[in-house]
Amino acid sequence: MAHDTTAKSEFLPKDSPAPAARPGLLWRPTAKTGLMSWLTTVDHKKIGFLYGVFALFFFLVGGVEALLIRAQLMFPNGDVLTAQQYNTMFTMHGTTMIFLAVMPLSAAFFNFIMPLQIGARDVAFPRLNAFSLWTFVAGAIILNIGWFLPADTHGAPDGGWFGYAPLTSKTFIPKHSIDYWVMGLQLLGVASIAASLNFIVTIINMRAPGMTMMRLPVFTWMTLITAFLLILSFPAITIALVELMMDRQFGTNFFEVSGGGMPILWQHLFWVFGHPEVYILILPAMGIVSEILPTFSRKPLYGYPIVVFSGACIGFLGFAVWSHHMFTTGMGAVATAAFSLLTMCIAVPTGVKMFNWIGTLWGGHLMMRTPMMFALGFLWMFMIGGFSGVMHSAAPADAQQQDSYFVIAHFHYVLIGGSIFALLAGIHYWFPLMFGRKVSEFWGKLSFWIIFIGFNVTFFPMHFLGLNGMPRRTFTYDPNLGWNTGNLVATLGAFMLGIGIAIYFAVMIYTYFKGEKVGRDPWDARTLEWSIPNPPPEYNFRVIPTVHARDAFWYEKHHQEEIAKETAEHAKDDEAHGGIHMPDQSIWPLVASVGLLIVGFGVTYFDSNPAPGIHAKLGTTLAGFAVVLVGIYFWSLEGNAGYHIHVDDKGNVLSDDHAKH
Amino acid sequence: MRLTSFLKTLLRWELAVLLVSGCLTSLAHASDKNFFVMDGHQSTIFVDGSVARSQNTVFYTTCAVTFVIFVLVAGTLAYATIKFKARSAADEHAEPPPQSHGNPLVEIALIAASVFALVIIAIPTLKSIWYTHDVPAEEKAKGNAYEVNAIGYQWWFKFEYPSVQINGAGTLVTANELVIPAGQPVRVNVRTTDVIHSFWVPKLAGKVDMIPNRANYLWLQADKPGYYWGQCAEYCGDSHAVMRFRVIALGPKEFNEWLDGQVAPARSVSSPVAASTAAKPQFASLRKPDSYKTNEAGITTKFDVNPLEAWRAKQFPEKNEDPALVGRGKELFKSKTCQNCHAIRGHGPLGVTAPDLTHFGSRTTLAAGLLENNTEQLHRWIHHPGAVKPGNKMQFGIGGMAGYQKKDDKGHWTQNIALTTDEELALVAYLESLK
Repeated sequence: MAHDTTAKSEFLPKDSPAPAARPGLLWRPTAKTGLMSWLTTVDHKKIGFLYGVFALFFFLVGGVEALLIRAQLMFPNGDVLTAQQYNTMFTMHGTTMIFLAVMPLSAAFFNFIMPLQIGARDVAFPRLNAFSLWTFVAGAIILNIGWFLPADTHGAPDGGWFGYAPLTSKTFIPKHSIDYWVMGLQLLGVASIAASLNFIVTIINMRAPGMTMMRLPVFTWMTLITAFLLILSFPAITIALVELMMDRQFGTNFFEVSGGGMPILWQHLFWVFGHPEVYILILPAMGIVSEILPTFSRKPLYGYPIVVFSGACIGFLGFAVWSHHMFTTGMGAVATAAFSLLTMCIAVPTGVKMFNWIGTLWGGHLMMRTPMMFALGFLWMFMIGGFSGVMHSAAPADAQQQDSYFVIAHFHYVLIGGSIFALLAGIHYWFPLMFGRKVSEFWGKLSFWIIFIGFNVTFFPMHFLGLNGMPRRTFTYDPNLGWNTGNLVATLGAFMLGIGIAIYFAVMIYTYFKGEKVGRDPWDARTLEWSIPNPPPEYNFRVIPTVHARDAFWYEKHHQEEIAKETAEHAKDDEAHGGIHMPDQSIWPLVASVGLLIVGFGVTYFDSNPAPGIHAKLGTTLAGFAVVLVGIYFWSLEGNAGYHIHVDDKGNVLSDDHAKH
Repeated sequence: MRLTSFLKTLLRWELAVLLVSGCLTSLAHASDKNFFVMDGHQSTIFVDGSVARSQNTVFYTTCAVTFVIFVLVAGTLAYATIKFKARSAADEHAEPPPQSHGNPLVEIALIAASVFALVIIAIPTLKSIWYTHDVPAEEKAKGNAYEVNAIGYQWWFKFEYPSVQINGAGTLVTANELVIPAGQPVRVNVRTTDVIHSFWVPKLAGKVDMIPNRANYLWLQADKPGYYWGQCAEYCGDSHAVMRFRVIALGPKEFNEWLDGQVAPARSVSSPVAASTAAKPQFASLRKPDSYKTNEAGITTKFDVNPLEAWRAKQFPEKNEDPALVGRGKELFKSKTCQNCHAIRGHGPLGVTAPDLTHFGSRTTLAAGLLENNTEQLHRWIHHPGAVKPGNKMQFGIGGMAGYQKKDDKGHWTQNIALTTDEELALVAYLESLK
């Protein structure tokens, strides 16, 4: 079609009359402030913000769990925690940090930043986005509910974050803790898959005109790849969890050895999910770093196509290396060799990214602001984590390192030094865009150095501990094995890291309320999200931008006249088509998620045996399903009419038919 | 330099020095000589077996290659960061640098270099995978490989010697201390009866998991006679951390003597059950079992000086043996239902769900390598197993077999086995006599 591609609503009449107010259950909420506005929001920025708040809350919870673990191990034969409590603590520390902290924090950035980077006004399915958020919250509640219930019959999950069968069977852990883990992860999976489909459709369909795939910012590319990894890997663990649930609830024999089940099957299913999951955690981080380094080096990303391609390559290879988590399970020499070599292959695209990041710095004007400090910290720490990763890929070496503290050192270098450093960098980097305020450089850098030093003091000694034979997941150790110094140092480091994180967040909260106000584009950045005022208006872009180059905003800044003319024309067109089209708020995604929460509670809380429990179980579960159905039914019935906003060329809202509903 | 800024610098240094010295002082209290050299009992660096050595060689190769890459990449990164850093506000606001987009030739060269580095690692890796996988074919052909079975239980190890059949009692069985011939390949078939465990003796070989429904195995060869620490390396529930074991490698002659001793039934201390069955005054000086803190170590540093000699000493009867007390312990072992789970070959008890205790007195450790095998620690263990090893079967029973405590119909725990101090000491004396 040859006509103007910017037209968004050409089927609407020019003077679209406000739709008639709707009765009863099909009422659309319009609150823009207050609790109701948050519960019914479909704005990707508000949803992103909520993801961030929940993620940071659970990040602190997981951090406290980590400090308790370190306190127990500070000295040999410690008795801060009992064996039971310790096992619960490391299970929940891992599960929380992966599923409730790093993943949703990445999702916060996907939601908030990605649509802005591609010049869109929202994600493709705004209500599905709200559903993802609230289902994530439901999953988080189910996962953690065991903390508040009696420990001998319920309790928080204690089978390890990997939940190896048959330890998770009713024979060995009869209490409900494992049921919470199963249902919690199941709901989180629903949330992740819904969100991923939404992001994929958004990135494929809602790019601004001229934003070709090879002009996408790298963070958006990594969002896309991560979303594909999620929808391809989560089905594996969903199946595994369904099987485990059936074993525990209905007496099937998928993993029950006495019934001919195969515990090794769990490991394969879990790691077919679990290894891509590692890249689900790190690829968004790589995306963030690939945005920050060019901005603060004031030059484009070195080797953009190679960085994008290597990201896709890592995602692809990520599905072919799961058994390197199983080198000690007796796979046989050929399988071990194959997975060993494939794992080494992953080092190539990862190394390529590192080279390109250094290439980006080379010849630049490096501005050492806090986000840049964290990004450089990422490069150093991720490099060390990468090297210990290569050491694991050599299967014979791994036979000694597997399940020792060496592995703990390795994956904390890639998950804290990698993912968390990049996410903390991202918070600093986009904070001015999100809230219009800037974090003080002094406090930002101070927290960086404390976190950086604390992190290394905690985890570097763990390499030595592992090589000296200290196994993971052990609540105690004897003083004669040479592990005392390492553990003491690690614990001191952990508390230092804790102080650093506390300062970081105290400063963030202070800045949110009292920080220095900054104008548009404070970093002299390169991508489209910086072209809009901060904090961003609800409609994001007054006029959908037209993209002429990679680093679209940098191009705009250097071709201002051309862009101004273009924008004025497009604004006229937009107005001719009825103004800016916005999605309506809705309560029904929240209702559907609450239904899932009730289902989860019904499946987990009650005993299917003895008999009286079965009625409560069935009743609650069915009631939950009914609520889900009601939510989805009205969600589809209420339709997606939306409303229009008209703004002038300064961005002032002239009229808004939102309130007329 | 102005005075104020000089003072500030000084203050900063002062603080740093204080902080560092504070840390060092607290370290001095905890320091163990072998942290940085990593030559502990479970070291993977200072190894004593050919399999562990092969694995360690691969590790060193990866270290060497990654170190070279680290020097190159980190050097470049550090240089770029320092060289291209904006030094002043004016510098930051200068014209942006040339907007270059990369160079395909550089990329290809770097990819080729990475692949080359990986090949250097891959070759010894592949060699070692095949070497460590099973006993070398030529050794097998010569019939040199000694075979044992290791079976994991929550939370202890059973060891079987399939080549040693005892008349009327089947295969030779021991628990928690595996005795092997040194200088000879040993093939360990690893099995489990409940959840997944992992067999790991770091100084001899990397770990292999014990997985239900899976016939896994590993091999190892101790260079010389020695005493080695092992530990379960896969999370297996409450007491995973204290599921430990030992491997004792002996020269051929000593190994065969040991085997002969094991084949014999349990040693009997000949004495009728005497009238005086109270514990002798020498027990009065023993530490009270209730005085132990949670998780308190059950080992002494004295033992570590020469553990193999300590093991040899355990093969002989204890001094000050009290035949009357031993006799009473033997009766109690039956009447207090210990025999339902434990076997003592030659004395009647034939339970199979718990460690075989036929030659218990000749082992250096108890409770799966957790405590040193001596009167005090054995007393501590028998007095309250649940306090030593959380969740263990002796405390709460297993299957239909009740332990110290059992659950009544209402779900309340009640005492099942009650022991007086005298009874506990009689059991201790009896068990220590089983050489």
